Amino acid sequence: MWRIYRTLFVAEFQQAAQYRIQSLLWLLFAVIRPVIFLAAWAAAANAQGGRIADYTVGDFAAYYVCLSLVSQLARSWDAYDFEFEVRQGKLAPKLLRPLHPLHYAVVANLVYKATTLPVLLPVLVLISLTFQAHFLTQPWHVALFVPSVLLAAALQFMFGWFVAAFAFWTTRIHAIMHLYDRLVFLFAGQIAPLSLLPGPLAALSYVLPFGYMLWAPTEILRGGLAIEQALIVMAVQTAWLVVSWIAFVVVWRLGLRQFSAVGA
Amino acid sequence: MRYLRLLALFAQTELQFAMEYRANLVLDLFEEVIIVVSSLVAVLVLFSRTGVVNGWTEQEMIVLLGVYYVIQGAQAVIFEMSFERFMEHVRLGTLDFILIKPVNSQFVVSARHVQVPQLGQLLLGLVLVGAGVREAGTALGMLELVEFVVALVCGLSLVYCLLLVLSTLAFWFVRVENLLAIFWSFVDAGRFPVDIYPGWLRVTLSTVVPIGIAVTVPAQAITGRLDALGLLSILLGTVVVWVFASWFWRLGLRNYTGASA
Repeated sequence: MWRIYRTLFVAEFQQAAQYRIQSLLWLLFAVIRPVIFLAAWAAAANAQGGRIADYTVGDFAAYYVCLSLVSQLARSWDAYDFEFEVRQGKLAPKLLRPLHPLHYAVVANLVYKATTLPVLLPVLVLISLTFQAHFLTQPWHVALFVPSVLLAAALQFMFGWFVAAFAFWTTRIHAIMHLYDRLVFLFAGQIAPLSLLPGPLAALSYVLPFGYMLWAPTEILRGGLAIEQALIVMAVQTAWLVVSWIAFVVVWRLGLRQFSAVGA
Repeated sequence: MRYLRLLALFAQTELQFAMEYRANLVLDLFEEVIIVVSSLVAVLVLFSRTGVVNGWTEQEMIVLLGVYYVIQGAQAVIFEMSFERFMEHVRLGTLDFILIKPVNSQFVVSARHVQVPQLGQLLLGLVLVGAGVREAGTALGMLELVEFVVALVCGLSLVYCLLLVLSTLAFWFVRVENLLAIFWSFVDAGRFPVDIYPGWLRVTLSTVVPIGIAVTVPAQAITGRLDALGLLSILLGTVVVWVFASWFWRLGLRNYTGASA
């Protein structure tokens, strides 16, 4: 298995070197949206005398800088690729290989994140300076952040594949994907840190899986959670990861059984 | 007049095409509703914590969001798919068939693929504008309405000119999807007034990617916050940009040699 992965890594790195500009463009998306909402909350906080609930302008800046980093580290776009492969009949040859398609996606994800990180970090430093971000991070926050962001990445990855597997039935899953994207927009802590959402929306966000894809590691890295809270949040992350893993396995098996390759 | 008739014809054929995939059409409309509603929720969340953002009240912000979807919707109805197809034509060499038609090529390229279903976004945007203005309760005079329409047309023209210039680059570079992707990544920023952003982003949204002023100025107009100077400058800016864009289009066209011939 180790040898297989090493070969895949080399191949993927070569591919990434080929499409440098394209991966930089995706970075732009990871930065712009957090900056939009950071600017809005900063303006709102200034109108309220510099703070909203527990958040000053600097706290908002720290939150959205962390969010941008997390959304880059944890994002996965496999569902879009998967739909394309199903539609173009490119999935069938992959299924014939002895390796589950999942493994190719794991490698592609890791390489993409490793190659874009060196560009993202200076941009985030710049944003932190512009808005005078104020981090509450303690060393143990960083220690917990590492497993938490890994859990978030795994959760997004599994959930994405779970959604993608519906392409076995419908071929086109664009509408489902957009719905998923909007749910993340609303409930994952993009429009606001979850604790600032109005009552029912906040309650819903703490229950649904989406917050555990972005908000959880973000708030841990910013230093906004106490140690017990952080551990509870990570337990929920693990629970949702297990659930989406099971859901994916079930849907994948059922889907594969009735999949008839397009165009093959 | 002739061009309006052509536009109607484009819309009709494209609608027939869309009707072929009815389930997809319904899902498209559903998606537009979801997108607009979730954006509205974002604004409501923001204003559940404050009464005013940089001088914009909640009602004015809803108007602004409405304008954003009007511009975004109008752009998607007429231009988005048309330019996408245009770049494909350049790559495949099939642009020749458009160029030999006895109409203005810039017009056909810009508006050939009218996406009727995207009207949903535009209409939802108008609903938001209407609701915001009514809630705000300010007297809406004839003057504001005229200013609003003028500013809206200018805003849409600015977005159109940018799309035209970026697409025209395809004559030299063939593949320019990436440049358009830069544009799309900035468009999201139009949902809030341009004046809340830090310097570098505000400048970008007012010049290179003018979605910021394209949305903010019409919203200022209908909420009675726009002075004559603001209106005059967007008008003047639009004329200049329009002249440049169509000159650039002709320049590119002269440079086009076909792909297969």
